[in-house]
Amino acid sequence: MNSHPVDQYLQQLTRRQLFQRVGLGIGGFALADLLQKDLPAAPRNPFAHFAPKAKNVIYFHLVGAPSHLDLFDYKPELQKRNGELCPKEMFEGKQLAFIRSRPTLLGTSKESKFEFKQCGKSGIRISNLLPNLQTVADDMCFIRTLHTEQFNHAPAQMFMQTGFERFGRPSLGAWTNYGIGSPNKDLPGFVVMVTGQYPGAGNSVFGSGFLPSVYQGIEFRGKGDPVLFLSNPKGVDATARRKVISAVNQLNEMQLDGVGDPEIATRISQYEMAYRMQTSVPELKDLSKESQPTLDAYGAKVGGSGFANNCLLARRMVERGVRFIQLFDQGWDHHGNVFNALPNKCKQVDQPIAALIKDLKDRGLLDETLVVWSAEFGRTPMAQGNNGSGEKTKAGRDHHKEAFTIWMAGGGTKPGHVHGRTDDLGYGIVDSPVHVHDFNATLLHLLGMDHERLTYRFQGRKFRLTDVHGHVVEDVLT
Amino acid sequence: MFRFPLVLFFSAYILSNAKLKLSSKIDFNREIRPILSEHCFACHGLDDPQGGLRLDFSEFAYKGGKSGFPAIVPGDLEESEIIQRVVSTDMDERMPPKGDALKPDQIEILRNWITFGAEYSIHWAYVVPERPQLPKVNSKRFVQTPIDTFILSKLEEKGWRPSKAEKKEKWIRRVSLGLTGLPPSLVEYENFMQDDSPLAKERVVDRLLASPRYGEHWARQWLDLARYADSNGFQADQLRDSWAFRDWVINAINLDMPFDQFTIEQIAGDLLPNATIEQKIATGFHRTPPCNVEAGVHPEANRVNQVMDRVNATGTTWLGSTMECAQCHSHKYDPFSQEEYFQMFAFFNNTPLEVENKSGKGVSFNFWGPKMELPLSPEKQEQLDSLNAELKVAKEELATLQKEADGMYREWRQQKLTVNHFKESEWEVLTPTKALSNSGETLRTLKDGSLLAEGESGNKSTYQIEVSIPAGTWKSFQMETLLHKSMKQNGPGRNTTNANPNFVLTELIVTVEGSSKPLGFGRVIADFNQAGFLAKHLFDGNLDSRNGWAISPEFGKSHWIHAEFAVPLTLGQDFKLKIEMKHLYGGGRNVGRPRFSISSDRIKKSVADNKRLLELVAKEKRNGKEEKELRSIFDNENSKLLAHRKKVEDLDKAFKEVTPATTLVMVEMDEKRDTHVMARGNYLSPEQKVEVGVPQVLNDWNPEWPKNRLGLAKWLVDRENPLTARVIVNRWWGQFFGAGIVSTEEDFGSQSEPSTHPELLDWLAVEFMDKGWSMKHIHKLITLSGTYGQSSRVSTAMLERDANNRFFLRGPRFRMTAEMIRDNGLQVAGLLSKKMGGPPIYPPQPDGLWRQTGRNEPKYTAAKTEDRFRRGIYVIWRRAAPYASFVNFDGPDRSACHPKRSRTNTPLQALTLLNDQAYVEMALGFAVSILEKTTGQSRTDRMVHAFRRALSRDPTPRETEILLALLQEQSDRLRSDGSLAKELVNQAPAIIISAKLNLNEVGAWFFVANALLNLDETITKG
Repeated sequence: MNSHPVDQYLQQLTRRQLFQRVGLGIGGFALADLLQKDLPAAPRNPFAHFAPKAKNVIYFHLVGAPSHLDLFDYKPELQKRNGELCPKEMFEGKQLAFIRSRPTLLGTSKESKFEFKQCGKSGIRISNLLPNLQTVADDMCFIRTLHTEQFNHAPAQMFMQTGFERFGRPSLGAWTNYGIGSPNKDLPGFVVMVTGQYPGAGNSVFGSGFLPSVYQGIEFRGKGDPVLFLSNPKGVDATARRKVISAVNQLNEMQLDGVGDPEIATRISQYEMAYRMQTSVPELKDLSKESQPTLDAYGAKVGGSGFANNCLLARRMVERGVRFIQLFDQGWDHHGNVFNALPNKCKQVDQPIAALIKDLKDRGLLDETLVVWSAEFGRTPMAQGNNGSGEKTKAGRDHHKEAFTIWMAGGGTKPGHVHGRTDDLGYGIVDSPVHVHDFNATLLHLLGMDHERLTYRFQGRKFRLTDVHGHVVEDVLT
Repeated sequence: MFRFPLVLFFSAYILSNAKLKLSSKIDFNREIRPILSEHCFACHGLDDPQGGLRLDFSEFAYKGGKSGFPAIVPGDLEESEIIQRVVSTDMDERMPPKGDALKPDQIEILRNWITFGAEYSIHWAYVVPERPQLPKVNSKRFVQTPIDTFILSKLEEKGWRPSKAEKKEKWIRRVSLGLTGLPPSLVEYENFMQDDSPLAKERVVDRLLASPRYGEHWARQWLDLARYADSNGFQADQLRDSWAFRDWVINAINLDMPFDQFTIEQIAGDLLPNATIEQKIATGFHRTPPCNVEAGVHPEANRVNQVMDRVNATGTTWLGSTMECAQCHSHKYDPFSQEEYFQMFAFFNNTPLEVENKSGKGVSFNFWGPKMELPLSPEKQEQLDSLNAELKVAKEELATLQKEADGMYREWRQQKLTVNHFKESEWEVLTPTKALSNSGETLRTLKDGSLLAEGESGNKSTYQIEVSIPAGTWKSFQMETLLHKSMKQNGPGRNTTNANPNFVLTELIVTVEGSSKPLGFGRVIADFNQAGFLAKHLFDGNLDSRNGWAISPEFGKSHWIHAEFAVPLTLGQDFKLKIEMKHLYGGGRNVGRPRFSISSDRIKKSVADNKRLLELVAKEKRNGKEEKELRSIFDNENSKLLAHRKKVEDLDKAFKEVTPATTLVMVEMDEKRDTHVMARGNYLSPEQKVEVGVPQVLNDWNPEWPKNRLGLAKWLVDRENPLTARVIVNRWWGQFFGAGIVSTEEDFGSQSEPSTHPELLDWLAVEFMDKGWSMKHIHKLITLSGTYGQSSRVSTAMLERDANNRFFLRGPRFRMTAEMIRDNGLQVAGLLSKKMGGPPIYPPQPDGLWRQTGRNEPKYTAAKTEDRFRRGIYVIWRRAAPYASFVNFDGPDRSACHPKRSRTNTPLQALTLLNDQAYVEMALGFAVSILEKTTGQSRTDRMVHAFRRALSRDPTPRETEILLALLQEQSDRLRSDGSLAKELVNQAPAIIISAKLNLNEVGAWFFVANALLNLDETITKG
C-alpha cells in the first residue's frame, strides 16, 4: 500500500492541510481514521483548547418546558399570594405567549405531594413530585437564574440549542462533534433520542446548520431501525451483505488506483464502518446483558422502548465513548391543568434519570459525564386560565423567559450547589443571572473548549455558538 | 457615506493582469485588504470604530481617529502610526490588542505598501466588471472556448500543463449529469460513441440543453436559494401549496428566460404592468420563508422575521453578500451599514401579515397570507362551472327537503311513541307461492305469510321456497324465525338430538327467478348471533356445515336477520324470488317457521338502536346531544333526504377536486408601512425612520425606477451592478467544477477567498450580461470547454501542486447531490418517470419520521403510482423532516436560504444506498431490467450491459470477474433455500416482475445491481 500515490501524498500532508482539504469531503469518522493511521503524532482535536472536565454529555431537553416553580424553585410567597392579581410590572409591556389580560398569581398547590423537601447534606429543596431525584440532590448543581430571549417554543428551542432563534445554525451537539469529535468510530459522535413527538423546531434543534452535515445528531429510534437504514433488506443476511460490500470495495479500490481521488479511499472506509455499525448498534441497543437490578432501577425493559430504556442506553453510549447524547422528551407544556399534568410527567422521568445518575456514579463515570436537565424556557408564576382558542381551562402556567431553573450533575460541576436567586414571586432574577449564551459557553468550557475560539467560517464570517456573547459561569465549576 | 469615483481605481483584474511584478505595485485587494480585514476591520471598520479610527477607506486612515494622529501617511513609515502599533512589543500599545501579532511578512507587505504610496482600491467585487482581453496562450489545442485561454494562461505562467482530454464515455456521462442531472441513456451513449464528427460534442450539449430534464436539474440549486419547501416550518410544520412556483422555476430555466427577467419576475412580478398569472406565480420566491404558527406567537414578530429573511435571501442569492450581519449592527467587514440594511428592509415591508387568528379569540394562529388560484384549462373551467350550477340546485333541493322533514319530525316522534311498528310497518312480507323440503317435512303457508314446518324434522333439510315479489326498488331482505306452539319451548328450531330448540342454518341462497346467479348481499345484521354462528355466514357461499347462523341460548324467542342487497334490486311486475335454506349441520336443526320480507330502505336499526330510539322519544326533555341523535335517526329513515345529502356531498367533492390549486404570492398593501432602524435588530426597539434604498458602495439608483420591489429588481440586474452577474456565473461554475472561481460562493465580501481567476470571472459575467443574460449560453461555453473536458485522473504530482484543483490541472470529479444520486439510480434502473410538475410526490421512506408537535399532523403515504419514481425535485420537502435519504446526502431542510451544500462522505450514506427501501427497489428494478433487456445473453455480456447503464462504460475483465463471483455466490445461496428469493422480491411489490423470469436469477442479479448502485463511481460525477 505504501507505494500508492494517495498514501504517499497523505503521509506528506501536514495535518492542517489535510483538514482544510478534506474538511468538507470527509466525515468526522473517517477523518479521525485517516489522521490516526497516517499522522499518529498530530493532536487529535483542533478545538480541544484545554483539558476537559467532562468527556461526555447526556443532555435532557424537557420539551415544552416544565414548571420549574413547582419542581425546583420553591416560592412560599407565591403560594401565600395565590389568586391575587399579579403586580402590574409582571404583565404590562411584557412578552407573554398566551396570557392577554392581567393574570392572577398561581402558587404551587398546597397538597402534600407538591411539598418541597430539603434534601441531603446540601439541603436543596426539590418537590415531592421528584422523590428519586431528591435522593441525588447532593450530586446536582442548579442554576435558578437562566434566562432566554424567546417565548415561543420553536424559536426558544432553537435559541437554546443553537444560540439563534431562527433556522440555519449548528446545534450544541453538532458544535461539540465538530470541535472535539468522538472517540468511538463505530458509532456516531452525537446521538439523539426522542420520546413523544419531535420538538416544534424539528430536526434543527439537533442539526448541523452550516457545518457539514456529518456533525448533526443521529437519531436512535425506539421503533423500527434504531438508525435509519441500518437493517439489511429481507433476503439479505449478514454474509450476503459482507459479500456485496467486499465487491463494492474491491471495485472502488480499482477505481482509486485508476483515478487517484483520495475521496474514494474515504468511501471505502465508510462502507467498512457501515458494516461495523450493523453490529455495534444492535449490540448497544441490546439490554439483555444488563442485570435485573439495573433494569429495575431504571424501569427499563429488555426489548422495550421509551424514556427509561433511553436513559439506560445513554449510559451504555457513554461507556462506548459516544460524545454527546441528547434526549428530548415531549409533553411538558402545561398551559392548563398543571397540577394534574405535571405529576404524571414527573413520574415518567424521575426514576430513570435518578437511576442514571446513581448508575454513572457507581461505575465511576459521573465525574467525566455531564448530565444536563434543561428546557427552552420556564413557566410563569402567573396563572393562565385560557387555552389557545380562548376557552376556559383549569389553571396552568404560560411560557416564561425571564428566569427559570435548570440543573447539571457530574462532569466538573459543583455538586450540591445552587447558583443564583430569583425574586420572592419567582418572576425575575435578583442575583447572578445566566443567559443562554453563558450557559452554552459553560457547557463548552466543561468539554474543554473555549466558546470564543470554537469557530467556523461561513459566508465571510467566523461563527460561534455564542455569537459575540457569553461568559463561562465560574461559580458552577468545581 | 461618501463614495469613491470608480474611475480613479484600477479594477482588480487590470492590476493582476498587468504582470508588473515591481514591489511598488502592490495590489491592495489581493495583498493588503486580507491583512486589514483579518486583523483590523472588526474594530476599525464601519461599525462603531474604536478610538474613532477607521481603516477601511483611505480618507479615514489618512486622517486618523480621535487621537488626531494619522494611522497611515502615504510614503512615510515613520509617521504612520499603524506600523508603530503592529510592531510594538508593549501589549498596551500593540495592535491587534488580543490574539497573535501580525506575522513578519505581513508587516513587510504593509511597510512596502505604505512606502510606495499606500494606495487603496475598492474591494474588487464592488467594481463593475468589464470585459478583459483574452490572454495569449501558447498551446492552441487545449482551447475549445474562450474560457480555456484564461485557465491555460495561468497554467502556462506556472509552467504547468493541463490534463489530456477525458475519455469519450466519461465525457458524455459527465456532461449529461452536469446539464441534466441524469446519466446518458444506453442509446445516447451508443450514438455518441459512434459519432466521430467534430460536432459530436456540441450536438450532445445542444440536445441536453434542450431537454426538459435540464430545467429539472438546475432548478434544484435555485430552490435551495429560494428556500422552497412544502411546509411552514416550526411547530406543527403544516403543509402549504406553492409548488406552482417550483414548476415556474423549472419552466423558466427550460425556456432559458433571460436572467434579468427571471430576477424581475421573482422579486416583483406582481408589480409589473398588467402582470400575468405566471409573473405572479414567480413572486413565490419570497413567499417561502418559514412561518411559526404555534399558539402564542406574536404575528408582528413573525412578519419582521420573514421580512428579514427576504432581505437576507436577496443579499445572498443575488449579491453574494451577508446582509444579515447588518441587521443588528453595521457590518464589521463589508461596507453595509445598519441603516442601509433597513433601507433594503423597507422594500419588503409592505406585505400583509402571514398568520391569522381565525376565531378572533385566544392565541391560536393559522398560516395565511396572499394566495392565488392557479388557472384552469377551459375544459376544467367548464366542468367547474357546471358542477357549481348543479351544486347550487342540489343545495336548494336539499333545503326544501330538509324543511319538509322539519315539518314531519313532531308527528314522527308522536307516532314512534304510540305505535310499535318497528318491523312490520317497514317490511313488505313476501308470501310464498311454493315451498318444498328435500327431507320429508312439509312446509305450510300461514296467514301472516310465514311457513310452518310440519312432520318429522329431517336430518339435514334444504327448503326450496318461491315467493312473489312486488314491483319496486328493494334494498333489504329480512328473514324471521318465528315461534310456534308445535315446537319445543315454542322454537324457533326443530332440533331432534337434544332438548334445546336450536337451529343451524348453513346457507341462505336468494335468486331472482330466471337468473342463474344468486343475489349478493352487503351488510348483514341479526337480532342475535350464537358465538361463532354469525348471520353473515348465511351469504358467504361457504357450505361447511358449521359455517352458519344459530341462536343458542336465546330459545323461546323469535329472531331475525336483515341483509342489504349488494346492489338495490329493481324489479317490474310479476317477479319471483327463489329462496334456498340449507341446513347442513344435521340432527334436525332446521328452522321451524321462517318468514321473508323486503324493504325499500337500507337496514339501519338493530334491536339496540330501537331500544335507544324508544328511550329518546320517551324522554320529556332531551339535551342537545340527545336531540341531535334522535333527529339523526329520523333523518336516516328518510331515504330521499339521505340520497340528496349524498348527492350534495358528492357534488361538493367533485367540485373541490376540480377547484384550482393555489400558490403563495407577494402582494403589496395599498398603505405602506413606515420602516425604522431596529436597535439590535429588535422590532420592539424602533429608531430613526428610513426610506427604501440600496447600499451606497454598489451601483447607483436610477431615479426613473419606482421606489418599490420592482425598482429593487431592476437595480439588481442593472448592467452597473457589480455583483449579480459575477455571483450567478460563479455559482454555476461551482456546480460544474465542485467549487466556484471564488470558492466562497456564498460570500463576495472582503472576507471572501481571493479569486484564482478574476479575469475569467469578469469575462464570464460580462459575456453573460452581453449575451442577453442567457444561462444556457454560459453553460454551453463551460461544458464545451477544454477545461471541463479534461481527464479527472489525479496524480500525486497534481495533489502536491494543487490539491484542491483551484487551477484546473484536471477535470472535475465529485460526489453528486442527494437528488442526483436518487435520480441517477432510478434512471439506471429504468424506473424513472418523466412526468413533470404538479403537487409534491411521496416516494417510500421509513415509517415514523413524520411526528411533529402540533395540530393536524399530515400523513406520509408513499405513492403507489408512477409518482413513486419521479425526480427528486418533486419530492415533498417538509422542513421539520425532509426526505430521509436526502438528509443523509446533505440535503438541507430549506428553512433558510442555502447557498452551498456540503459534500460529506459517511457510513450513513453507505447504509442508505445499501438498505433504503427506495434503493432496494432500484436495485431490484435494475436486476429485472437487465434480465429483460438481455434475454438469452451470457452473464458476461449482461455484465457489459449493466456497466454501460450504470457507469456509461464497459467493465474491465477484473471487474467482471468480481461481480460474476458475487452473482454465482448469491445464485447458489438463493437456490439452496427456495424461499429467500421470494422474500427478497416480496418486499418491493412496486417492482413488477414478469412471470417469465426466474426468481432466483432475479434475486442473484439484485446483488449485482445493489453493488453497482453503491459504487463510488456511480454516485460521482467524474
